[in-house]
Formats: sequence, structure tokens, C-alpha cells
Amino acid sequence: MKKKRISTISLAGCFGCHMSLLDIDERILELVKLVEFDRSPVNDLKRFKARCDIGFIEGGCCNEENVHTLRKFRRNCDVLVAVGQCAVMGGLPVMRNAIMHSKDPLRECLETAYLNSPYVYNPTNDIPNDPALPLILDKVYTCAEVVKMDYQIPGCPPSGDILWQAINALLNGKPSDLPSEVIKFD
Amino acid sequence: MVNNAIVFKIDGVEVRGKPGQTIMHAADEAGIYIPRLCDVEGLEPQGSCRVCTVKINGRTAAACTQPVAPGIEVENDTLEIRNCRRDIVRMLFHEGNHLCPCCEASGRCELQALGYRLGILQPDKYPYLQPVRPVDASHPDIMLDTNRCIRCGRCIRASRHMDHKNVFGYIGRGINKQVGVNGKNLAQTNVHIDDHAVAPGICPVGCIIQKRRGFYDPVGQRRFDLHPIGTEIEKTPKGIKK
Amino acid sequence: MTKTRVIEIEPITRVEGHGKVTIHLDDHNNVREARLHVVEFRGFERFICGRPYWEVPVIVQRLCGICPVSHHLTASKAMDMIVGAKKLTPTAEKIRRLMHYGQIMQSHVLHFFHLSSPDLLFGFDSDPESRNVFGVIEKMPELAVQGVMMRKFGQEIIKATAGKKIHGTGAVPGGVNKNLSIAERDVFLRDIGQMKTWALGALDIAKKYTFDNLAAVQAFAVFNSSHLSLVREDGALDLYHGNLRALDAGGNLIFDQVDYRRFNEYLMEEVKPWSYMKFPFIKSRGHIDGWYRVGPLARMNTCGFIDTPEAGKALVEFKNLTRGAPNHMSLAYHWARMIETLHCVENIETLLNDPDLQGTDLMVKGERAGEGIGVIEAPRGTLFHHYKVDANDQVTFCNLIVSTTNNNEAMNRAVKQVAQDHISGKPKITEGMLNHVEVAVRAYDPCLSCATHAIGKMPLAIEMYDADGNLVDRNSQYI
Repeated sequence: MKKKRISTISLAGCFGCHMSLLDIDERILELVKLVEFDRSPVNDLKRFKARCDIGFIEGGCCNEENVHTLRKFRRNCDVLVAVGQCAVMGGLPVMRNAIMHSKDPLRECLETAYLNSPYVYNPTNDIPNDPALPLILDKVYTCAEVVKMDYQIPGCPPSGDILWQAINALLNGKPSDLPSEVIKFD
Repeated sequence: MVNNAIVFKIDGVEVRGKPGQTIMHAADEAGIYIPRLCDVEGLEPQGSCRVCTVKINGRTAAACTQPVAPGIEVENDTLEIRNCRRDIVRMLFHEGNHLCPCCEASGRCELQALGYRLGILQPDKYPYLQPVRPVDASHPDIMLDTNRCIRCGRCIRASRHMDHKNVFGYIGRGINKQVGVNGKNLAQTNVHIDDHAVAPGICPVGCIIQKRRGFYDPVGQRRFDLHPIGTEIEKTPKGIKK
Repeated sequence: MTKTRVIEIEPITRVEGHGKVTIHLDDHNNVREARLHVVEFRGFERFICGRPYWEVPVIVQRLCGICPVSHHLTASKAMDMIVGAKKLTPTAEKIRRLMHYGQIMQSHVLHFFHLSSPDLLFGFDSDPESRNVFGVIEKMPELAVQGVMMRKFGQEIIKATAGKKIHGTGAVPGGVNKNLSIAERDVFLRDIGQMKTWALGALDIAKKYTFDNLAAVQAFAVFNSSHLSLVREDGALDLYHGNLRALDAGGNLIFDQVDYRRFNEYLMEEVKPWSYMKFPFIKSRGHIDGWYRVGPLARMNTCGFIDTPEAGKALVEFKNLTRGAPNHMSLAYHWARMIETLHCVENIETLLNDPDLQGTDLMVKGERAGEGIGVIEAPRGTLFHHYKVDANDQVTFCNLIVSTTNNNEAMNRAVKQVAQDHISGKPKITEGMLNHVEVAVRAYDPCLSCATHAIGKMPLAIEMYDADGNLVDRNSQYI
């Protein structure tokens, strides 16, 4: 059987889902027999080499770069899977959207971090604004709000066992075959 | 009249009920689980969340308020009903701010447990509404985080019928309807930490919480970590069908 | 007009989080400026305001999925102050320590085996296609398996104490919510001997790498700096608790045995417009010269000794390399990291044999306070959490200086120096040269997830611009 080509990315997430993928532990030896990794933070491929069968997305979209990257993944992957609560529903960063109770939450977050803290030395009173920094979005968006997602694996993060089952199901073309006993939202 | 005189069927299985008993109650006694959120033992049923929707002779009804009747055919665990319930639970998730990862009700939350049981795994077809809702932490022992309220009304009924206080009630209408208190804030009411309305198990989610007890239950030992919701009722736990 | 070009390394890979490097070149390809940018911003410090304080240890660990336990415990330490828990019960303190040692072990192992070993084993210029953990699995399966199993052991310790391998809930304000059962303990005791053997082996690899490549290690991203960490009252390495000590580049004390609850009197953070990651500095030395390094290397420099036997011996050997003076070599981070891994394994063994772990007295409380400060030595360095909580139990203020942020200036120096050494004046810039820059960043094991307080991350990127700011080259290999 030809190895499936998979690719992973962390957008506005904490990297916990990638860590959880490593929690498959010794099964990683089996995994490398089943799949070939294209672009991923765990290797040095920074751009897609070839079209991928499956793309795993961790994290939602906090800045324009997240959006561009997610769109690139959509264009380059046959199947796109939202992994973890951030990708599924925005995760904790969505606290910025509503729970924070602010009319201008982004500005408040930036001002708290860079201007108003009594322990900050900021003689020019500027918020970081270099052209090298991507624009931050007005609010946090879920992946499904930006592109069409094919599947989702909830959890914060989904455990290594869940990811292993999900990957195997996906490789065998039975994507939604996760027993509900293993589903977790926390 | 003889007890259990009324014979009817749930998903083809013969079940017996007493006159005046609800379908839900009879099903519970027969060891058949019908998912629910607004209904809980000890409170008057109000049939508002519609998670217990069943089909009775082809027509939908809320199992928690519909009385048993001789010969009726109830559809409970069918694909159509499961999909209907899944949509209802999804919408509840989408219209509030349910951040399971950092919510202290995780693991004992009935909404979350139903999400698991119903197998909510497909990408969202509804938008997240992300409403701006208040947090009331004014009371020394009790906190109200309405981000997580699903308007089941359990606290309202418990406060009225068990505590005879009417601390909680609905305010607003339609999508803006939410639970409120009969004072400027919780501290201005006569609610007490020993009230039924704020006891664990009345609020099915993490909206009403007793302060300073969050995360005392270790992950793995919480109410629904061990058994999926409904298995305490089921004679033969079935797990979940797609 | 002199033209400059800018190279961007974007995304930086095999690090945790999102970032990029820009390298500014003049007409003769000399490096004028090189910067590490952290490009994500999440705003934790603001959006946790209004939340009840007992949620904080669970929320803030979502800063980072690589060392969530560090944030979890640091926030818990701060919340201990809020609930007036002056001294934890022995069980609580030891469970937390066990969790922390498990965390440092898994994080160090992850960094060494999964992320950095490809550079060290295959060479900085090796084929980028196989210069990754899968390449290690293919070419050195035995070594790869050791890394995988050691990380698993650390993760299982975390799971046993926190309920989950990532983002658990074990620590609560004033204590912990579970102890370690005999059955759980016995599983770990069975494997601990093997872990120690492997940890010694990993230390040997790191040490051998240093001596086999001594000239390179002594030339690659080496620069004088101050060093800061917690140390125990007797000067020993203590990763969970202690007082602040800072050394200058010559090894003289800047301050010592400072109660960490007063860290604000000693440290400040500078904001620079080109990065979301702030630049902390020691107040008394000013914002230009006050920067310092933290993490394994800094800890080896600041601590007087290590109180576990094998790691203690390893530290002596480490210090001998520089004859007791502070070690300033960025690549020595790897060696230091493996000494700490061994120290953690030794500590875990001692703790597992301690019956206090089966105690049932888990939480204490005292007089309620309005302000809480927690500091810990996280895998990547000293981690500061500072909160204020109002009478309604809601957080009103939060300031976090995460480990990687402390190393911000150092990483920028490393990037600039390596760029100057390996890119300046070269007619053609290759992938290998750019990877040297990434290797320098990787030595610090930066966790840019944490650094941005964002729910974010940092692959590294390199781009080239001309003097007018137009993108000239995006390291064509990657396009």
C-alpha cells in the first residue's frame, strides 16, 4: 500500500495537540511505516512538497498569517481535520471574543500587555507594530469559519490514544469511526 | 387500579407504566434511558429543553411531560431521534460560551456528557454565537457564570418549590432569555449555600458553582469519567449508536 | 544609497510555537541586523481578568502544551498565597514536585531527542528532508526508542499526578487533588532503573558531542551574559522552589537569595516594536546591559551544586570545562539539559520511595490575601506569575514573564552572531547556513507558545528584503 502523505500545522494553539500526537509513544514507529510526513513543525519542510492526503490543523485563527496558512492547507490537502478545541471552536483564545466583556478586546489585550503593566519599560509607548509581524484579527475564528473542514477531533488536547484511533480510522477511510467513549471536550 | 397496568412499547420493547406516569419515568423504571437536560429527579418536569424528544405514534413529544397511554408506540433510540437530539445539544453548545477545557464542571457536566453520548464529532454546521453574558461573583459562597447557562430552569424550580425562595428566574425573551436573580446581584438576594437550588446536581452545567471548590475532583474520578451519562438508568448499557 | 536585503526564516521549525527570523544584508551580503520575531499574540494577561482565581491554574496552562505543568504549578503557587496556604502538606508538596520532575524530564527529552538530535547527529548542513525525528527513527532506531520511552515515562508521571498527560488538573490552590496510589507507584518503580540508565546514556551523548566538537561549541553563538535562576537556600539546584540569584558574565553575584515574591523590584520588561515577546532586564543594570539568560545553562552556572549523586558529579564535570567560570556557550544548553534530566530521574526515584506520596492530607488554607506570586524553574527557565484577586474571588491583574521571554535578548544575540559568522559575505545563501541560525534558536529550546502568552506558536521563517523593503528571496528552497 502506498504511504499516505500527511501534513500538520499549529495555528493559534498551544502546541499541546502536536505533543499529544507524540503521546502515541512507541506507536510512532508504526506510524512512520503507514504515513509520510510533508510539511510539519516537527520536520524542516517549511513549504508543501506535494499534495497531501490528510492535513491536521491545530489551533484557530488569531492573525492573518493563520488564515493564509489554513487556506494553503485547504488547497493542498484532500482531507482536512480540525484537531483539538482551538481548531474546533476557538479554544481558550475565544475568551477574547465575548467572555472578556469588552467592546474593543484586542486593543485592551495589547494595552494590558505592552502599555499598562507597571512593570513594562516602554519609553515610546508603542504597541509592537513591525511589518514583520502579521496583523492580528479582530477576533478569534474557528477553522470552520475560514475554510471547509472535513472532520474534527475534539479535546484539549485529544489524547494520544484518541489521535491514534482517529488516524487509523482516517487511513482506512472510516473517518467518523471514533467510539464515543473516547470523546472528550476537556 | 392495578399498578403497572398500562402497557406500551418503546422501540418495540414492551414497557409497563402507571396511570399518570410520564413516559420518561416509566422508561427509567424499565431501565431504558431517554436523554434529558431540563428534567431531573425531584423537580416538576417542564418539557423545555426538548432533548427527551421521542415520537409517539409518529408525532414528536417531550417524554418528560407526556403521560403513558395504553398501546402507544414510542420511538426513542432511532437515527432520526438521535440526530434531532444531537442538533439540540449542538445548538446549546453554540449559543452559550462553553469552554470545557477550563470549566470546573467538566467531567460532571450533563451537557458535556450528552455531547459525548450523542457522539458530536462532525464539524459544525452552526455558527458559535459567542454572546456577551454576565458573571456574578458578588456572593461570598456562590457564583453565577451565565456564559454556561442552558436555561434548563432547574435552579428556578428548585428555588421556588424546594427552597420557597424564588431567588432565580428568567429574564429577557427569545435568544436573550437567560437566568437572573431577584435582586441587584446574588449578594443582594437571600440565597444561601445550603439551598437546594445551588446544590451540586441541580445546575446541569457550570453556571451555578459553589466557590473555591473547583477542580477538587481529580480527572478520571469525576462523575462521567467512569460511566457515560444514562448508564445509571440502563439495565443493559448500550453505548452509543451513530 | 546602500541597499539592504532581508532574509526571513519562516516558519522556524522544530521549536515550539510561531516565530520567524529576519536577516538584513547590505550590498556585500554582510549582516547588518538579525532578529527573532515572535509573531503570535493571544492576550492571556487581559482575558483571564474577571475569572475566579481557582480557574487560573487550569486556564493558564493552555499557554503552552509542551510544559503546561510548569504554568499549572506556578499559578498554583501564586494561588497558594491567595488562599493563605503558607506551607503545603508534605504529600501536596511532594506530589507537585513529582509532577514537576516528570514535566522537566519529558520536556528535556522531547527537546533533545525529538527536536534537536537531528542537528547534532546528522549535522547542521545535512539533508533537510531527513533532518528530523523520523530520520532518527530510521537511522538510529534504538536511540529514538529511548527518547520515546523516556518521554513517555515523564508523561505517565504527569498523568498519574494531574489526571491527564497534557492540561491536567492535579494542583489546586492550597494543595493537590489526589495522591499517588501504591499501584500507580509500583508501575513507575518497575521502570525507574531503566530510565536512569538511559538518562546516563543521554548525558554521555550530549557530553561526547561537546568534547568531540569542542572548537565548534566554543565558537557557535558564544557571548557573555548574566545568568539568573532560583536556587535553594544552600545554593543547590532546586527546580521547584527557592530564591532568586543572578550572576554577571564574570560569575560575580548581582543579587542572591532574593525572595521571589519581590521579583518586581529587580526585573522589568522592555517592549520593542518588532516582536510580541518582551525583553526583560535586571533593573539595577538598566535596559541595555541588564539582559540575562535563564534555563538549563543558566542554572548550571548559578547553582553551587546538585544534591543528587549522579547529576552532582555531572555538574562538577560541566563546571570544569570553564574552570568554574560561567559557561557562555549556547550549544552547552544541550549538555546542561541532560544533566537536569538525570537530576529529575534521580529525584523521581527518591520521591517514589517516599511514603508521603500516599498521604491523604492534601490541602491547607489560611488567611486570604489579595495578591499572589509564583515562580518556578520551568524546563526553559525561570517562570514568573503575578496575580491580584479581589474580594469576590475574581482576578483583577495578571502579569506573566515566561521562561522563553527571559531568553529573548540572548536568542537575538545568538541569531545575529550566527548570521554574521555563517552568512556574512557569502555569495550564495544555502539552506544549511540558514539552518545554523535555527540551530542557535533551538539551543534555547524556545517555547514561543508561552512567550506570546498567546494561544499560538512559532515555526521559524527566513525572508530577504532589499533596502526598499521589497521581498527579494524567501529562501527559495522552501517555496
